[in-house]
This record gives sequence, C-alpha cells and structure tokens, in this order.
Amino acid sequence: MPDRLSRRAFGGLAVALALGGCARRWPKGANGEEQRLNFYNWDTYTGETTLADFQAATGVEVNMSHYANNDELFARLRAGNPGYDVIVPSNEFVTRLQISGMLSPLDHARIPNRANLAPEFVNVAYDPGRRWSMPYTWLALGIGYRKSRVDGVPDSWKWVLDSDRYSGRIGLLAEGDDLIRLGARYLGHSVNAVTPAVMEEVTQLLIRQKRHVKLFHHDEGQDLLAAGEIDLVVEYNGDIAQVIAEDDDLAFVVPREGTLFNSDCLCVPAGAPRPDNAHRFINFLLDAKVGAEITRTIRYPTPNAAALALMPEEYRANPAIFPSGPAMARSEYGRFQSIAHIRAVEEAITRVMAA
Amino acid sequence: MRGPLDYLGRWPLRLWLGLVGLFLYLPLVALVAFSFNDSRRTTVWRGFSLTWYRELFADTELLTAFGNSLVIAAASTLISLILGTAAALLLWRFRFAGKAALEAALGLPIVVPEICLGVAFLVFFTAIVPWPGELPWPFSLGAIIIAHTTFSFSFVALVVRARLAGFDGALAEAARDLGASEWRIFRDIMVPHLVPGLVAGALLAFTLSLDDFVITFFTSGPDTITFPIKVYSMVRFSVTPAVNAASTLLILLTAALTALALWLQGADIAKQAA
Amino acid sequence: MLQRPGAARGVFAATGLPPIVWLLALFLAPLAVIWAYSFGENRTLVDIAITGSWANYARALKPLYLAILLKSLGFAALTTFICFILGLPVALAISFASPRAKLLLLLAVMLPFWTNLLIRTYALMAILRTEGLINSGIGAIWSLVPGLGPFEPLPLINNNFAVVVGLVYVHLPFMVLPLYAALDRLDRSLIEASLDLGAGHLATLFRVVVPLALPGIVSGIIITFIPALGAYLTPDLLGGTNSQMIANVIERQFRSANDWPFGAALSFLLMYMTFAALLLQSLIVRRHAGGAP
Repeated sequence: MPDRLSRRAFGGLAVALALGGCARRWPKGANGEEQRLNFYNWDTYTGETTLADFQAATGVEVNMSHYANNDELFARLRAGNPGYDVIVPSNEFVTRLQISGMLSPLDHARIPNRANLAPEFVNVAYDPGRRWSMPYTWLALGIGYRKSRVDGVPDSWKWVLDSDRYSGRIGLLAEGDDLIRLGARYLGHSVNAVTPAVMEEVTQLLIRQKRHVKLFHHDEGQDLLAAGEIDLVVEYNGDIAQVIAEDDDLAFVVPREGTLFNSDCLCVPAGAPRPDNAHRFINFLLDAKVGAEITRTIRYPTPNAAALALMPEEYRANPAIFPSGPAMARSEYGRFQSIAHIRAVEEAITRVMAA
Repeated sequence: MRGPLDYLGRWPLRLWLGLVGLFLYLPLVALVAFSFNDSRRTTVWRGFSLTWYRELFADTELLTAFGNSLVIAAASTLISLILGTAAALLLWRFRFAGKAALEAALGLPIVVPEICLGVAFLVFFTAIVPWPGELPWPFSLGAIIIAHTTFSFSFVALVVRARLAGFDGALAEAARDLGASEWRIFRDIMVPHLVPGLVAGALLAFTLSLDDFVITFFTSGPDTITFPIKVYSMVRFSVTPAVNAASTLLILLTAALTALALWLQGADIAKQAA
Repeated sequence: MLQRPGAARGVFAATGLPPIVWLLALFLAPLAVIWAYSFGENRTLVDIAITGSWANYARALKPLYLAILLKSLGFAALTTFICFILGLPVALAISFASPRAKLLLLLAVMLPFWTNLLIRTYALMAILRTEGLINSGIGAIWSLVPGLGPFEPLPLINNNFAVVVGLVYVHLPFMVLPLYAALDRLDRSLIEASLDLGAGHLATLFRVVVPLALPGIVSGIIITFIPALGAYLTPDLLGGTNSQMIANVIERQFRSANDWPFGAALSFLLMYMTFAALLLQSLIVRRHAGGAP
C-alpha cells in the first residue's frame, strides 16, 4: 500500500510541475518595462475597480499583496526589496524608510496629478517638498463609542486614560507609540515632545488606568465596539465610520485636547524593478475620478481636493470622517524621534502590559 | 460481545470523547455559521446570505493563496517525512561521535521562537543566499518550502523516534541473517511498524505548514502569498466572512477526501488488520 | 545493541547525510546570523554592528523580563497539563479502535487544525465573548427559570482563563498524536494480564499503560509545552490587559521595536533554558532506562 500511494503522489507531483512549470511571459511596454507592477498595500485599501481600470488604461497588470501594519512593512523590506514597486507607509515610516535608504526619490515631472492635492498636503514636515511620497489618505485617532452606554459625548482622553467611570468597558490601541503620544497629549504636551520624564509620567498613568481597561486591540477596535464587547475604544476615524454605517448607536469624537494625525503615503521602494510603471500608477491613483472611486469604497478622508469635490455631500459632511472643531487645530502628525526613543517606548509598553 | 480492551464501547470514555469533540467542534460550528452571515463582521449575526461564497469565488487572490498553501504543505510534508525518518533511524541505530550534538540540533527547530526563525530566514534568503524571485511557479515557492521543512522535520523525527523505541531489533536482525538487504528490511519490516508514527508525523507537518504565518511572512514575496498571509493582512479592516467561507470549503473538502480515502482503502485496511 | 557506523556504512550515510546536511546548511547557518546579532547593537534603523557586547543579555535578565518569562512558563505548564488530561483518554480510545475508526478519529482530531489559526481563534472568540454563544445560551436558560433576576454574562474572554482555553484548544493535537503513536505499539497482552490479575482499569492505566508509554508521553509533553511557551497570537487576541507572554515581547522586538539584537538575545535566552530542561529530561530518561535490566 505505501508503494502504491507514493507512486501516486509522485505522479501527481510530476503533473503539477509540468502544469505549473511553464513560466509566465510578460510583454514589454513602451517604456521598456514588463507590463506589470507589484503593489504592497493595506488590505481593502483600493476601490473595487481601481486596479482593473489601471490595466485598461495602461495595459499594466497590478499584483497586489498586503501587510497589516507599518512595522511589518519595514521588517519585510529591511533586508532588501523582494520585488515591490509601490508601497503605502504612514508618515512616520516615510521618514524611517527614507533615512534608511529604502525609498527611491519621486520624479515630480512624471506625477502631474499631484496638482490635485489639497494645499496642506503639498509640503509636509515628514517629507519636505514631497521628494519621497505622495499622500493617499489621512487618519485621525479618536474615541469611538456606543451612544446608549455613554453619558453625553466623551470628548476628553480622560474617559479612556484617566477615569474609572467606564471601568471594564474600555479598549485601548495596542500600538505603544500611539498610546504614549496620546497620553502625552492628554497631559498637555505635544505628541512630538515625549521626553524621558513625560514618558515615565504617561507610563505611570497607563499602569494606573490599566485595571479599568478591558483589552488592548490591534486595530480591530471597530469590531469589538460593534459586537458590544466594549463601549469606548481608541481607534481611527475611518474604521469607526465603517461600523457607524451599520449601527447608528455608534459615534466618533476627537477629544478636545487634540490628537495624533496619520497619513498613508504612496512611495517607490529602493530597488523597485519597474520604477516607471510605479510612477504611472501613483499618478493614476492621484487622478480626481480614480481618487473619488477609491474614496467611495474605503471611506477614509482623502487629501485629494479634486477627488473630494466629486464626492457626495453625505461623505463630505460626515462628522466621523471629517471631524471638526478646536480639537483638530490642536492635533499634530507624529514625527520620528530616534532609535533610543523607539526602544524606550517598547520597554514602557512592556512594563504597562506586565504590571 | 465486548472485549476487555474495547474502550470505545465504554460510556465514560464515550462521554469524554464527546466532550472533547464538543470543545474542538463548537468553534468550527460558529465559523461555518458566520460564513453565511449577512454582514461584513464576523461578530454579530444579521441573517442568512450566500454573498461570501460568491465573493470568495470572485477573489482570485484568495484562491491563489489557498492553492499556494496546499502545494507548500504537501511538498514540505513529503520532504519532512523523508528527512525526519532518516534522522530518527540514524539516532536509533547508530552510536557515533557528535550524536548528542545532532540530537540537540534536531531539537532546536522546535525550541526556536517562530519569529526568530522567520528573521533568520529573511536574512538568509535575501542577504546570504538570495532566492531568485522570478522562478516559475511552483519553484518560486521553494524558499517557503525549505523554511517549512526545516521546522517540521524535527517534529516528524521526534514522533517517529518515539515509535522506534518500541521496535524489536531482533526481527530486523533475523531478516538480515536470512540475507535480506537493508532496503528490504526497511521497506518490509520497519515501515509497517512505523506507519502510525509516520501518519502522526505527516499530520503534524502538514498542519504546521498550513497554519504558519510568521516564518512564511518573512520568506514570501509579491508572487508567493499564502493563505495565512492573506488572512492576517485582513485584520486591520476586520476579517471578511469570505475567509470563513474558504475555511468551510476546506473543511468540507477534507471531510469528503477522508470519506473517499476510507471507502477506497477500506479493503486494504481490513486486510492489514486481519 | 547500538551499532558503530563502520558496521553498515551505506545505511549510515543514507540516513545520516540528508538530515545533517539540511540542518547545517538550511537551519544552523541562518540561525547563526541571528545568534551573532544577539551580541550586537543597532547603529542605525537597519545596520547592526556585532560588537561582542553582552548588553542585550544583561537587559533580557532584568526582573521585568524574568517575571514575564515566569508567567509564560506557568501558562505553558498549565496548558500542557490540561492537554495531557484531555488527550490521554482520546489517544487511548484511538489506539484501541478498529483500523477504520482509527483513521476517522485521527482525522477528526486534526480537522479543526487545518483551519487557519487566526480564523479558529476568531471562532473561539465568537463563542466566548460577552454576547457570544455560551453566554447567550446560558442567558436564555436563565431567563426561563423564574426568580433568578437579570443574567450577568460570565467573563469568559479577555482574561487569563481565556488564554489557557485558547492555548489548550490550539495545542491539543500536539499532545494526542505522539500519545497515540506511543500507545498504539503497546503490547496488549500486558494490559490484559493486568486486568485478568484483578487490577482495575484506572490502576492498569497508571501502573501499566503510562510507564510503558513513557517515551511517547515525554515527546508529547515536549512538543506541547514548547510551542505553548512560544504562543503569541492567543494571548494577544483572547487575553486581557495582563496576559502578555514572553513570545509577545520577543515578537514586538523584531517587528514594532525594530530591535533585532535584543529580540535575538531574548530568543536565545529562551532557547538556552529550554535546552537545559531538555538535557535534564534526557538524563532522567537515561537513568530510568539504565535501571531496567
């Protein structure tokens, strides 16, 4: 019996090899590059027809694969680029990748659609002159909550970081860096002024608050909120906006102390095998109609002014997607500080979790 | 008529099996149920729908990933079985210099934290021995298959060795005296004895490979996405029930194949048992 | 009884070369790089200088990390124990079943594990959560009984209880398979003799079956305990705010903290300890075997 089985298995293997062994040949485009592109992106982060539309317009087939967070992206590219042409890191990681020599500079002449960007996204602190990145979306951290289970609007970080009022019903983001920055903001510091003393203060705050916290989530806070597992959660506006569409008892607020902004950006990693296709693709994504089509699906705030103009009122006036008020003026983008700082944050968060 | 060893027929053991079965299968029932849920979320029930099955069959990425995973699992199981059995036989039969070191090295893959091994392969396959990225499928999966084999063949060796511990060497000795070749002894005496160990080892290796995320993450490239990689990347925007649908189909497929195998091999097994 | 390689050179080479070459080239070589990193330090975000410093190990031995390690050992030990208690009767039942039922039962044990770990964990969460299957089931029964008052959902998730349930769920087959492989080769006549001589089933189990199946039990314990010690997804998703295990810390060093040298030092520390334990175990087994005639 074993003989027969193994012979059968080998037969199967041989057939599989014969079938799969023929390599796919890619035709070359006018720019001399193969008509394809490897896009490394967050999941569900394009429109339903975006990639097919690009192929129809240019003949270039996009092969998309996904990562779950910036750390994964960085770790995967750290030892060398295994063949990606376009990636979508967040602002702080644009800096990290760039100073590590892992990005190639963008040729603005090949991205005329950058004229569609809203003015505040044209020149940014994390990438002066946009030499390395083009903005794709922006995000704000805030508190998602269940209206029927919370008194009024929880418009201060106090309700999740420094209070027993909602004990056992709070979910915090498990991202150490974000938590420390938000804690600093609550204590009256800039999210970019986390000195060792401030970090210690925030660590103590979190250790004190921990017994009122039900869980630390990995960016699936919207699900936990929707399932009724928790009633207040620190999450991104776009994520909460998605669940509000299904359950109108949910709402989102940016606390009055101000918050941490993020922006996911399109970049070309160093060693990209098809840089010209990469530029054409980035330019395509910044097109007004394409941007609107993407935004209709993903419902994140778009930095593309021309695309925004094509969006319906329901989206443009949505308070969960575009929070407003004085809190927004007190919010900042997080900046990369130093290797020592990353290490200190990690140790602080390990202490909080172990306390 | 029940023999004293017919444990399956005794009620305490049946109850125990039932409870363990409930524990193992209750989550699966939930999983299957949510594949028919009329909502993006896998947490709240909103009514019956077949949307996710339609979505699954339209999702070529997910299907490709699924296929890659099965090929990798099959290939790495086969290689692990060969390497693991060889290692187990070597350690069982011979006394040689460096045996203790080999035993320790064999234990390492079980002991190393996954993420550490993942990073080790990342550095190895990008900086030390670059795995050519543009190989035709399925050779493009080679790096992942190598990585999976490395961590699973130790498990095979461990299980097979435990099985060998009860082997009566005199039988092989007698065969050898009668002039049987080493290969005959291996095929006709050792293998039949080892079958349960080989089956257990193969099941372990297959499971480990099919489920591995961390090590695969660090060895996969844009064209070699596996099912777990695809699933984990979905976490940020919540896992869609399409994944539940895929899992449900895998469960059905396995169950069907099992039934078929049982039916086909039924005669063989009966003969063996006789 | 053990042969010298010279006695059967061909067999020695055939069984020895493939696994040894594979281990050296495709496992020890990559691992050596990481081992070297554990004596290094980060120069930039991507450059690691191997300085030969012990600083990473010194940091890994701080009470903060030792306490987390201790807690992880506790989780893993409890998981292994429960898996053994749950798995032994199952393995016993499988090994005494008819050949056809045997295959069926083995596959029934394995089937849940061919579903992706993350999906399985999500499914387990759907059952354990506050408004999940178990709580709503109990709640429904509760409301049928008059005079009990409102039902307070049981806290089944986001605590250490849930972590152990999850770890047992994930690691049960790792225990059942080696136990089965060992029990299946037991000499039935010994068990029958014990029963004939008047020993009860339980006495037979512990006095005859367990000692005879000891190698399988030990390998079952090893391959359950070690992966359970290295679990990070289960405590992440099912755990509460104090369920952090050592693998979570290691995983964060390699990913979010981008601190490979420290992650490497923590990993190797864990490996050194496991090795010490394995060495101890093999000494005990050897003495045990040496005592027998």
